[in-house]
Amino acid sequence: MEKIELNINGEDVTVEVERNWTLLYVLREILNLTGAKPGCNTGDCGACKVIIDGEAVNSCLVHAVRVQGKAIETVEGLSINGKLHPLQQAFIDCGAVQCGYCTPGMLMSAKALLDKNRTPSEDEIREAIGNNLCRCTGYYKIIEAIQRAAKMMGEVKVE
Amino acid sequence: MKDYNIIGKKVPIVDAELKVTGQFKYTDDLKLPGMLYAQVLFSPVPHARIKSLDTSAAEALPGVRAVATYKNSSRVKFNSTTRLRTQEWISNECVFDDTVRFVGDRVAAVAADSLAIAKQALRLIRVEYEELPHYVDPVVAMQEESYPIHGSSNIVGKICQNAGDVDKGFEESDYIFEDTYTTPAVHHGAIETHAAIANFDAKGKLTVISPNQNIFGTRIILSRIFGLPMSRIRVITPGMGGAFGGKLEATLEPVVAELARQTGRPVKLTYNRRETMLSTRTRHATVITIKTGVRKDGTIVAQDLKVISNTGAYAGSAMNVVGAMSNKVFKAYKIPNMRFTGYPVHTNTPSAGAMRGYGSPQVFFAQQCQLLKISKALRIDFAELQIKNMMDSDGFDQRSGKSIGNPRPKDCLRRALELKKNWEPLSDEGGKYSIGVGMALGCHGSSTCDAHLDQVCIMIKMNEDSSCIMYTGTHEMGQAAITAQMQVVSEILNLPLHMIDVVYSDTDVCGWTVGDFSSRGIYVTVHAAKKAAEAARAAILRVAATMMQEDEADLELGPNDVYSKVSGKRVERCQVMDYAQQVLNEDIICSATYHATDSPPPYGVHIARVRVENSTGKVEVTDYIAVHDVGKVINRLGAEGQIEGAVHMGIGYALCEKIEYDSAYGKARNNSFRNYKMLKASEMPRLQLDFIEKYEPTGPFGAKSISECAVVPSAPAVINAVCNALGIEIKNIPYHVTEQ
Repeated sequence: MEKIELNINGEDVTVEVERNWTLLYVLREILNLTGAKPGCNTGDCGACKVIIDGEAVNSCLVHAVRVQGKAIETVEGLSINGKLHPLQQAFIDCGAVQCGYCTPGMLMSAKALLDKNRTPSEDEIREAIGNNLCRCTGYYKIIEAIQRAAKMMGEVKVE
Repeated sequence: MKDYNIIGKKVPIVDAELKVTGQFKYTDDLKLPGMLYAQVLFSPVPHARIKSLDTSAAEALPGVRAVATYKNSSRVKFNSTTRLRTQEWISNECVFDDTVRFVGDRVAAVAADSLAIAKQALRLIRVEYEELPHYVDPVVAMQEESYPIHGSSNIVGKICQNAGDVDKGFEESDYIFEDTYTTPAVHHGAIETHAAIANFDAKGKLTVISPNQNIFGTRIILSRIFGLPMSRIRVITPGMGGAFGGKLEATLEPVVAELARQTGRPVKLTYNRRETMLSTRTRHATVITIKTGVRKDGTIVAQDLKVISNTGAYAGSAMNVVGAMSNKVFKAYKIPNMRFTGYPVHTNTPSAGAMRGYGSPQVFFAQQCQLLKISKALRIDFAELQIKNMMDSDGFDQRSGKSIGNPRPKDCLRRALELKKNWEPLSDEGGKYSIGVGMALGCHGSSTCDAHLDQVCIMIKMNEDSSCIMYTGTHEMGQAAITAQMQVVSEILNLPLHMIDVVYSDTDVCGWTVGDFSSRGIYVTVHAAKKAAEAARAAILRVAATMMQEDEADLELGPNDVYSKVSGKRVERCQVMDYAQQVLNEDIICSATYHATDSPPPYGVHIARVRVENSTGKVEVTDYIAVHDVGKVINRLGAEGQIEGAVHMGIGYALCEKIEYDSAYGKARNNSFRNYKMLKASEMPRLQLDFIEKYEPTGPFGAKSISECAVVPSAPAVINAVCNALGIEIKNIPYHVTEQ
């Protein structure tokens, strides 16, 4: 076991980990942050996406020891002081949530996109969620929700 | 139609806020104090007797608390899809057996202090197998000389249905077409994999928490396996990360309960994607021979369907799926002479179970593709051929003459053709692409009543402040049935949604219900919610009438008050509740049971446009139309979502999804999302969808179902488009250019 420091949603936390533990395992099993989901453990479904230094990454493929000193964002950090992020609100309002299992990963891929590009085209949105599988929605309402959130974020300044 | 406050509106799914904040707890997100972690050892061979099994080294490993095998576990045989205690369905599966019947069959399970120890223990279990003949292909397995996987034959049973006189119908036909189609085993692809937690408490009560579509059926199974009364078993489903039928059957639940029994500790078992694909359930692969007799004018006179379905190693859904398939085909067209013969067959592949459409996707693929071929041979426009034969609104089951409600396939087709006019022209880019348009019809049911009892009990408990709790045995898996039930309670009790909370899928707390399958969420469970809410409304008004000394019939339930339409007198709703509690000394708890006696088929017509790259043969679905006859939309977001997801699943079924079994080793080649292809966002077509809302007299608010029906026409619409683009016939899906 090895003691490491991780910066998660702006907070530094110290955890003891094995070198082969993935970030997903540490988030879910050690830190009880179960928002990121294990859908495949092979990096093919995107349900475990978190944002690391601005990039949406499959946390099932990253060893926790390798992300020390990096800024890690998870779905639990998306709403601020109980106020939903525009993406979260848009996912609810557009019906982009059905079973909800892909939702945290989709939100993180979408946030990474909108953080860099506030006016993405539909193709850019499809590409940004290209590594996120959803079996419920056919992606239609997810794309619509991301477009709506982009619009909301254009109209309302978000910290 | 009547104007409603909330029925028919766009209402986000219950718990959506928990889901977007990562706070919704699915089974694998839960931890119980002192919980152990389990792993399962799967058979590496497709069919064998276990010659020797040595678990001593695994048991000796520090941290290992139990190693369960056939030697120390319950050997009670069960049917994993049981719904009623009185059903005598074929039961040939047990928790562990001394024979393994597919690669992925359970050999042993370990419970240990950590996942790592459990994994290490698996590697210490020594097994010697005496291999037996194995079969991947049901056509081979069903032959008389094949080695039986159970009993004396691999044919599980025979399902026959008949309308009219098929042989005479063929004699009266001008042309007869006969074709054989095949469909593959596919994976449900719910993003949440299978998981289960079990615990025996100090008084010996077993609690199982798992994503399961059939809690009361699973309770029956566990009761048989462990010899416990139902009062000593509690099954809870916390909400599922998708199911699509894949979580209908008891799979991990008996295993984890056996480990909990042996250890006296809570135990969690979570399958990863590979394990879920290897060892849970698939859709039945089929070989379908369809013979159709038509007149020159396109009237279908007779149709004979012979289906061989690969039900895999165990019989859980063997008879049900083919039985359901046999029921659906008699409700799509006015074909007076029709015969269905189906044989579910055991092979040494994973058990096939329920999957969205429950037999319909297979049989409608064959039927719709052959119909296109017939329309071409007769030189009759495909839409015209469809209209000529489709069920009219006064249609009936071709076998019994019994009414099937208000079938509207023709309206679907006409609306779909209207929407097609919105399509922009699609260029072939100078001959780079071949472009084709395809259409298909599908139908399904709205309840389980064609197969067995369909019943649900929903309870409403009013609180002092006039808010309420709804108790429903319905399972939440993204299909929004519970949301629809809450809308109905909101509508009838005139309460905003935030004043209603729900307790769901818990066998100890909720009234009995058939599981959530057969697309019964709207047609059956909403009916029960309506009855329960009406009872609660009547109870509130009865109390108010006493309190206000008014005639009950004159009272109305406002959002905040009860008022008399005659005298204008009003009291606050919470005062009525206080009066019930403190003056009448009553609690308002109302339950209602709804028993479905009909299953009116919903219909859908899909039109797909594809472009096929001529140099590579690669198919891209560019445009898509889906129109569904649903009676009445209860929740527009939910209903649209069902169709959108079904289009994803259907296009995959047509073009890329298939579990590939290696016949030599009896093993799947693609048990991962890396190798099992599901469509990505960039591969979905432009979509137009619409509903035909024509009142279904037997449905709640005039509604029938949507969820499964939505997937039925999808694959044949896409395949017919490819056939039209390339001028070919396609008889096997998925269609890849390299394989045809």
